[in-house]
Amino acid sequence: MVEAKRFFADLPPRSRPKPGKVWKAPAGAMRVRNFEIYRWDPDAGGNPRVDTYEIDLDQCGPMVLDALIKIKNEIDPTLTFRRSCREGVCGSCAMNIDGVNALACLKAIKDIKRPTVKVNPLPHLPVIKDLIPDLSLAYAQLRSVEPWLKADTPPPPDGERLQSRAERAKLDGLWECILCFCCSTSCPSYWWNGDRYLGPASLLAAWRWISDSRDEATGERLDALKDPFKLYRCHTIFNCTQACPKNLNPAQAIGEMKLAVLAREG
Amino acid sequence: MADAKNLKIDIMRSFLGRARGLGSVNDGFNFWWMQRLTSIALVPLAVWFIFSVAHLAGAPYAEARAWASGPVHATLLLALIAVVFQHMHLGIQVVAEDYVHTDWIRTTLVLAVKAASLLLALAAVIAVLKLAITG
Repeated sequence: MVEAKRFFADLPPRSRPKPGKVWKAPAGAMRVRNFEIYRWDPDAGGNPRVDTYEIDLDQCGPMVLDALIKIKNEIDPTLTFRRSCREGVCGSCAMNIDGVNALACLKAIKDIKRPTVKVNPLPHLPVIKDLIPDLSLAYAQLRSVEPWLKADTPPPPDGERLQSRAERAKLDGLWECILCFCCSTSCPSYWWNGDRYLGPASLLAAWRWISDSRDEATGERLDALKDPFKLYRCHTIFNCTQACPKNLNPAQAIGEMKLAVLAREG
Repeated sequence: MADAKNLKIDIMRSFLGRARGLGSVNDGFNFWWMQRLTSIALVPLAVWFIFSVAHLAGAPYAEARAWASGPVHATLLLALIAVVFQHMHLGIQVVAEDYVHTDWIRTTLVLAVKAASLLLALAAVIAVLKLAITG
């Protein structure tokens, strides 16, 4: 994204992870599961490494986030990751678990079929440290679709702007996005052209405001999106929909916007 | 690297500035719509063409010439050529834009594909017209 794009998509030599430390389970642990976790420390520099933590599941909560917190509290306090609500509301602990973008707090360890649990940062973003990716550009892309109400009609002096039940129902499946960016970082179009393609998370937000009966800037919003890269780089492969931990459907939202532009071109 | 001497920052533009970039070209719809229309048109045209060619398999040269020079067949062949090359160059352009990230290679590739598609389409059109007109 910020760094030079490469003709081939393989990782540059200095980004390739090397085997790291192995943290043994305590003696007498009955139910041990290995967690292979991506580590990179900007202060140490060098290549990233993959540390292996042997976790006694009898002494650990059920979710991947429980294991990460256990590691940080009891085994290796240097492990760095974002987390807050631990119940799928805040979107902080988005990461790539077992090859799939997910929230660590909603991903049960027992649902991971492979013997080793592999945990990596969200794909194809600059890494700040360990499991923390730099989402600055993604947040700015969200800001660029101006995800707030725009209306010239002043609000009624005696209350809020009203919607019918049917109008409000159009926002269901759109407003619930928690901005974890599991979807955008699962999308190959976003990987290869993330500097110009807005990505499913920001486009879902754009559609949320286009769908809002109280918003009066639909045309202006569609103008801003009608671009071969910003919107039309979506090739409708539904990785975003599959990745969404809130079961939303960004791919459908993007399709709806293409249809809205079509209706306008008529 | 945390080594201050090696710290090199070459982009200080704000992220919002980068995200907005050069702005929307206010285009892209026609490209997307043309890809869909040509793919729909290709379904009947391609089926017709494949069945016709299969039917002609093993037929003598003169019979194939006669088939292609009929007014209905020549018209459908010209339509097929127009749609195939239009669809092809749009599709390859998308692939290049997706996967080729060195600007000059991407631009050269896209222009070369457009030029090749145009020339091949013209050559195919002339071949059909020659048959249709000279019989």
